[in-house]
Amino acid sequence: MSITAAGGAADDPALVVEIDQTLPMPLQGSLRCEAGELLALVGPSGAGKTSMLRMLAGLMRPQSGRVAVGGELWVDTARGLCLPPQRRHVGLVFQDYALMPHLDALGNVALSLLHLPRAQRRLQASRWLDQMGLGAELQARRPAALSGGQQQRVALARALARKPRLLLLDEPFSAVDQMNRQGLYRLLADLRQALAVPIVLVTHDLQEARLLADRLAVMDAGRVLQQGTPAHIHDAPRNARVADLVGIQNRFRGRWLGPAAVAGQGLLRWTGESGDAESAPLLTVRDKGKVPAGQAVNWIVPSDGIALVDPGARRADDFGAHVSEARHLGEITLVTLCLDRVPGARLVLTLSGPQRQGLSVGAPVGVRMDPARVHVMPVRNR
Amino acid sequence: MDWQALILSLELAAATLLVLLPAGLWLGRWLARTGFAGKSWIEALVVLPLVLPPTVLGYYLLVSMGGASPIGAWVRQAFGVQLTFNFLGLLVASVVFNIPFIVQPVQRAFEAIPDNLAEAAAVSGLSAWQAFWRIELPLAWPGVLSACVLTFVHTLGEFGVVLMVGGSIPGETKTIAISIYDRVQSFDLAGANQMALLLLVFSLLAVGASFFASARLALRR
Repeated sequence: MSITAAGGAADDPALVVEIDQTLPMPLQGSLRCEAGELLALVGPSGAGKTSMLRMLAGLMRPQSGRVAVGGELWVDTARGLCLPPQRRHVGLVFQDYALMPHLDALGNVALSLLHLPRAQRRLQASRWLDQMGLGAELQARRPAALSGGQQQRVALARALARKPRLLLLDEPFSAVDQMNRQGLYRLLADLRQALAVPIVLVTHDLQEARLLADRLAVMDAGRVLQQGTPAHIHDAPRNARVADLVGIQNRFRGRWLGPAAVAGQGLLRWTGESGDAESAPLLTVRDKGKVPAGQAVNWIVPSDGIALVDPGARRADDFGAHVSEARHLGEITLVTLCLDRVPGARLVLTLSGPQRQGLSVGAPVGVRMDPARVHVMPVRNR
Repeated sequence: MDWQALILSLELAAATLLVLLPAGLWLGRWLARTGFAGKSWIEALVVLPLVLPPTVLGYYLLVSMGGASPIGAWVRQAFGVQLTFNFLGLLVASVVFNIPFIVQPVQRAFEAIPDNLAEAAAVSGLSAWQAFWRIELPLAWPGVLSACVLTFVHTLGEFGVVLMVGGSIPGETKTIAISIYDRVQSFDLAGANQMALLLLVFSLLAVGASFFASARLALRR
């Protein structure tokens, strides 16, 4: 690893964050993001997402940690280095936009361009606002006379006009209605291509995160629990908490019984509310060799690893179940199934198309699981 | 009409404002931005001139700035001037008794500015100084403006402290409020009435205009 003059490593990603602090609030974890990538911080309120963002912007100083952007060190507490926000070249879109109420849209954007002569400042600000789809008439309005979506575009233009090396978005879509949101998503997607800087988005909306993000970082109680592509986190959450936070509904309890007869596969007992009944069904699933035999586990199966089969066509390794609830919501149907042999286990599926025909409450169905999609997580003993 | 007293009062009010505005902006903004254990005591100290009888304030100013006091003696030695019974002494007293009139409204005005605007300014690359001139001061301006008007008008009308510290020397320390008192004492009610009415109308117009302007400024946001 070669070290550049600025102190970052040349082959590091465009954004490298290591934070470890306990006071004034706990904040722990590391983040990585490449240029042109969008990293979404997700988690419940109070998870520390916004604090992480403020730390990156320089509005908060970490107790201990390191932040490097584009090979340039912004924070290194070991060396007593913490650049003020003015010297970071960071674009931040605040949750409530934080537009200056006494300046018109143009004046707000021009604020990021104070290093330029006045005439050029206004010209460039106007160009950025044009690019955001705000014409001359709207540019002359003060924030109070703009809609939520328009204010957000002004805030985005102000952040971009600074030519940021890192773009930070703090719940930018929360105050915008659904229709405007779609337009803004598209704008953001286009921007990502053009900007080629890391973008960090804070959101509590998982769907939004999945839609926009190349990478997810799941945060809870100040800690980054897991980081990776949305698909990876969905298929293989690190633990039950991550599975819950990313909205995986089909999570069950079980006991890992060790390797199966076939190499690379292991036996999983699906335990219900009554605990380890001998009658509980066994699953033969992928064995990654990480879980000791006899260990209590949580396990998940993503919905595309579950297929419904006709009860008459059931194979030996399929499970019998009954429909306990079916809610038809326009194009889709939300179905809850009760497993016949696992007391208390409920399977939730979202169905569309012909699959959902004939699914009424009480109807028997066969459930076929793809053993390759089952992901097993040890229960941590606290 | 005692024009000399009126002009002296106007001069005193203008000089007070000139000294107090920068200091009040600094102190008010500082109080709005910081929080520490002893802040309430500093805020209490700021309000004190408002609640003390003018004679008490005047008495302490007189004994602390008089020629026999350490401060008075030091100022006379260092600068060759006296701090009581002249215009300079009047100015010092006027600055002290106007502190709450400027600091409190300024503090409230800065407190009303959302924190994240200063943060947005910093992230946009504005230095603390640029943020003050371009963001904070324009937003706090209605409050600062009414603070200035209140201070000016209050100085015109101050009586007790001025009498204690300045006496009533024509052209030097005899302000319009003292002149009115003197006229009443010598049964010149017509003369007193002229000046009292002038002060009343001027004060009403000034305060009314500042309130009107503040409301207009606030509306434009």
